[in-house]
Amino acid sequence: MFWVHLKMAIFGLLIIGFFTYYANSIPQLESRPPEELALTEAEATPERLAQLGRDIFFAKGGCAVCHNIKTAEEKGERAPNLQGIGARAATARPGMSAKQYLLESLTKPQTFLVAGYPPIMPPANKPPVGLNRVEMAAIVAFMQSLGGQVDVKLDDIPAGAVAAPSAPAASPAFVRQAGDAKAGKELFASKGCIACHKVADAGGKIGPDLSSVGEKSSPVEIIRAIIEPAVVLTPGYPPVMPPDYAEKLTVKELNDLVAYLTELK
Amino acid sequence: MVRWRTVVTAVILLSLWPLLALAQETEAYRAFPLVGSRVAVWVIAQLHLMFAAFVLAVPIFAVIVEYMGMRLKNPKFDRLAREFTKLLFAAFSTTAILGAILLFTLIGLYPKFFTYLSSIFFPTMWLYAVLFFGETFSLYLYWHTWDRLQDRKRLHLTLGLMVNFFGTVLMVIANSWLTFMTSPAGVDVTGKLINLWAAINNPTWMAINIHRFIANISFGGAICGAYAAYKFLGAKSDEERAHYDWMGYIGNFIAISALIFLPFAGYLLGRELYDFNQQMGIMAMGGFLSWLWIIQAILIGILFLGSNYYLWLGMERIKGGERYRRYIKYLMILLAGGFLVWATPHSLVASLEEARKIGTAYHPLLGVLGVMSAKNTAVNIMILTTFVSFLLYRRANKEAVVSWEKLGKVAQAGLLAISGGIVIYLGIYGYFVEAIVRIGFSVYQVISVLTAMVLVGGIDLLLYRGARITGAFQWGKIAVRSQYTLVLLAITFTWLMGLMGYFRSAIRQHWHVYGIIRDTSPDAFSPTLGYAANVVSVTTVIFLGFLLFIFWLGGLGDKKPARPRETGKGKG
Repeated sequence: MFWVHLKMAIFGLLIIGFFTYYANSIPQLESRPPEELALTEAEATPERLAQLGRDIFFAKGGCAVCHNIKTAEEKGERAPNLQGIGARAATARPGMSAKQYLLESLTKPQTFLVAGYPPIMPPANKPPVGLNRVEMAAIVAFMQSLGGQVDVKLDDIPAGAVAAPSAPAASPAFVRQAGDAKAGKELFASKGCIACHKVADAGGKIGPDLSSVGEKSSPVEIIRAIIEPAVVLTPGYPPVMPPDYAEKLTVKELNDLVAYLTELK
Repeated sequence: MVRWRTVVTAVILLSLWPLLALAQETEAYRAFPLVGSRVAVWVIAQLHLMFAAFVLAVPIFAVIVEYMGMRLKNPKFDRLAREFTKLLFAAFSTTAILGAILLFTLIGLYPKFFTYLSSIFFPTMWLYAVLFFGETFSLYLYWHTWDRLQDRKRLHLTLGLMVNFFGTVLMVIANSWLTFMTSPAGVDVTGKLINLWAAINNPTWMAINIHRFIANISFGGAICGAYAAYKFLGAKSDEERAHYDWMGYIGNFIAISALIFLPFAGYLLGRELYDFNQQMGIMAMGGFLSWLWIIQAILIGILFLGSNYYLWLGMERIKGGERYRRYIKYLMILLAGGFLVWATPHSLVASLEEARKIGTAYHPLLGVLGVMSAKNTAVNIMILTTFVSFLLYRRANKEAVVSWEKLGKVAQAGLLAISGGIVIYLGIYGYFVEAIVRIGFSVYQVISVLTAMVLVGGIDLLLYRGARITGAFQWGKIAVRSQYTLVLLAITFTWLMGLMGYFRSAIRQHWHVYGIIRDTSPDAFSPTLGYAANVVSVTTVIFLGFLLFIFWLGGLGDKKPARPRETGKGKG
């Protein structure tokens, strides 16, 4: 029986070895999670946005899975061919600008369904695609660049057009701009943060001491802690921080606050 | 021995629930030493699933074989059913222990995620625990009353059906948890539960239930076949060899009968994935996972070739089987052709220079064979070919005596030809229509193959009713390589199961629950196929090691011949 065991073991290992060898000899691809795109207003030029939008189209957005950008005569197989969409969008709906039309198509894809295609497109601003405001602006810019004029700006993307920040463990959707640390310090007091958080010698003890938060956390982590406090909970402190700062603060206020906190080292 | 271990496992399972409260208070992830959390959970979950598949499958065919024994009044079948159940009994506690370890590692390494999952499915988790007791006790009763209920077979079979009932319900409950991760439903955009039933009955739940039910039978049959091969190779007598040869044949028959239906269940699952999220479906078939299907094609090709080869070798032990030997080369050509088409990738790995010479990323001829139309055609032809192999095996020692023999055979050939013709026609026509129409063609191909198999099989039953027997089955007189073929099939099934486990996880990409709970751990990426293959191989080796050990344990009792007790010298 020993030889039966041995022969079966050798035979089995040879087969498994073959499968392993074969699987290791074919093209090896890894699927990495997409990175969050953050730009300051100064960086968000039309050219830069369109260029980043192209990257999103082929990667994070997953648009190229169904859409193609072929010559204008060719029909898309699963979804419309987007060649010339920048020009078409400007005249697609009376009274609607190209960027409005494109934004609506991205966030409510079933609104302007092209005849002959099934309603399969997911909203680009909601998970699992979940583009943030900069990314939404970039993809609109890229669409406009396909035969049209790029005039979309970061401010054109309304705050409500991106994924709800309260989604558990979802990525924060934000526009990172250069903030004013001085204004941020005033906001820290006026918005009531100081009631719970201590900085230097002033402030409450309900929440963590933020005296050196800029040393321990990146700006992205600080933003996340503000808009998703339930997700980024510091051990030892109760989950009492209001979860609605994403709605309470304007984009500028958030960036000012982050600029202030980042400087605390 | 087995009883207390199982009860202890059940108690461990229940005692782990309080840890959920602890999980709520801790960080999102914890690290596992050396291999990391992902690999730790991966290996344990896969081992648990492999044993669970075996444990769920065996009672299905044990009860069927026992029923056949009762109907045919043949104790051989009863012995076989009992032997199947013995294997089940040995594997049951290992399954439960692995389940407990899996739960423990999930709570320990992914506390936040598990807290979320339990916030959705907690009531079903309690139900799972209660049903687990039901399965345990019905299995005890089924096993321990085998002799006592020899004269009340229907009651004993009812116990077997209870084991199946509890096992199947346990499987579908667990399936709801894992399919929710892929295609969540019944929750709002923040992941908050709205409707528990909708969360359970999520878009891929029923498709996975069907797929797993069939796959488990196939896998269980293959493992039983490997067990029979193991016993055959170590057999000391002709009688023993004959028994295990027969058992191996039954195991292979079960595995292949279920395997034939598995691609159809796979289509259904694929369709549900597409319906749930088109991007997920397309990415699964044509994105970074596209090469996985080439590996899968190699594995399923081996399964088809191996099982046909086993049938052809088996025909050599049947007097009269030599009449059909001349057809084997044609069947071989069809299978090999189908295998080659199925395993052809759409885009070949070429250097930039080669790609420039070709003028496209796709090979002008082979690229055409690498698309859905060709692959669907190939697999359907392979299924039909395997069915023909089985028909030849079935009639190897028979001669039909009915007056309409010629007409019947012509009808059978005609039906097979029509089905093959439909499959090939739709396969070619698929190149000239849009993707959405082409996907629909696969349904008609499947229907034509299934219809042909049902009709041809039905005719065959009538054709060979009361047939003249030309020679006996010489069980045990089969080439040793046939037994290694059974081992090959079991290993390939196991490895394939591991690969598809990776697929099911990888299609979620960087999400624990797709679109709801994002994976923010250091392992929030889908590894390469090579890496996955390495983990699958290690898992398969561990599983087979466990299995070999269980087979060996199971054989310990068999070796001891019953000795008459020496009076006055008992050791109490």
